[in-house]
Amino acid sequence: MVTKVYTLNDAKAAAGNNFELYWWVFMRVSGLLLVFLVLGHIYMQNIAINSAEINYDYVVSRFSSPTWKIYDIFLLGLTILHGANGLRYVIDDYVKNLSTRFWVKTIVFTVIASIFVLGSITLWTFNFQEIGDVMRSVPSH
Amino acid sequence: MYRGREGQWAFIFHRVSGLAILFYLLVHVAELAAAMWGPQYSNAILGFFHTPVFRLALLGIIAAVLYHALNGLRIIFMDFTGWGVKYQAKIWYGVFAVFLVIYIPVLIKILPEIFRGH
Repeated sequence: MVTKVYTLNDAKAAAGNNFELYWWVFMRVSGLLLVFLVLGHIYMQNIAINSAEINYDYVVSRFSSPTWKIYDIFLLGLTILHGANGLRYVIDDYVKNLSTRFWVKTIVFTVIASIFVLGSITLWTFNFQEIGDVMRSVPSH
Repeated sequence: MYRGREGQWAFIFHRVSGLAILFYLLVHVAELAAAMWGPQYSNAILGFFHTPVFRLALLGIIAAVLYHALNGLRIIFMDFTGWGVKYQAKIWYGVFAVFLVIYIPVLIKILPEIFRGH
């Protein structure tokens, strides 16, 4: 019995574009970065200190620090994109009805996008005095 | 259930842990966003998450993150190397070995904090 051999060109013809390839690459690259970013985050907040000590002052001091502001921007952006795309795979696997799939995705991605905006606003809310001090301390020439 | 061997379980655990982490991520961002409304709201909500029930649940999330990270590395090895595919089942046992080496000290550090009550 002869089975058809599927080649890269067949896969390209079926896909139509490179959308899924780019997401596939993104999941590997972001996953590798997140191993360090997320485990580092858990270490700092749970191992280096007792996490029950975390209060408003601690949160604000971290959100105001240039280093942790930048760290948290990457952490938020990459985790949200990695998680949203992972959930997209799960929905595509289990929700087969196209109309149901559309509405499930619409609702789920709206919630995730809203939380991302909320988190971004939080990161930009706390003061930029410290990050401004660092920038101003860099010699201009 | 597809074949019920190591690779199948690695996949199921990866998926379930990923969903749990995403759910916690959304709750966690909302929890921290309360800081925008000032210390009285922020400290109330943070205090709520410091109760023993939530701290035990957080240990579960830490376990999920650790497994997802280590098995994610296994997936990357499988995608980019031949030996990653050849030894994927053995590497999965390696994932659990490394998981225990890291997670047991984490439990030893955090469980007493929870049961001391602060």
